[in-house]
Amino acid sequence: MAGKLCVSITHAKDDADKATVGFVVANAAVASAQDTLVFLSTEAVRVAVKGYADDIHEEGFAPLRELVANFVKGGGRIYVCSPCFKKRALDDQALIEGATIVGGAKLVEFLAAGAACISY
Amino acid sequence: MDPPILGDDAWDAGDMGCGELVFLLARRLGALRPGQVLKLTATDLGAPHDIPAWCRLTGHRLLGAEPPHYLIQRKES
Repeated sequence: MAGKLCVSITHAKDDADKATVGFVVANAAVASAQDTLVFLSTEAVRVAVKGYADDIHEEGFAPLRELVANFVKGGGRIYVCSPCFKKRALDDQALIEGATIVGGAKLVEFLAAGAACISY
Repeated sequence: MDPPILGDDAWDAGDMGCGELVFLLARRLGALRPGQVLKLTATDLGAPHDIPAWCRLTGHRLLGAEPPHYLIQRKES
């Protein structure tokens, strides 16, 4: 039975290194047949908007857009913190594929089912 | 056809979301007697996913969900 892993990411262009490495680890988890969730909160919610990650390419890693697309193609889920998204007045009609805007209860449900969590 | 379910209490939470919404929802539902029904209105974008998850976590019964409207029955104990 697959384990459950949550990768919590709190950065976007303010720390592209952390945003990128978070998705690298998330890709490792889906590639290892784990039920994997990326939780985007605070600044990281910007990554869930189409086009935002297009110019993020941290040296030594694949472009963030590619990492995100591979993660979703691999069966990974992306939860986007609702109040963080609303606070930044972002466009909920421009969400990337695989992203869902949720509040705390949805995250708690995933974690309470025995998920491990790593934060970036 | 079943008769329409009438709520015992109604709460318009507006655009409140995330932890604040479920925290106050727990209080609101806790004030009802077991089996009574709360009519909730919540327009937050996360609510369509959060309210069902919260009901599964807490054991309260989600009788109906047509965002932004939800009918929640307080659990027995």
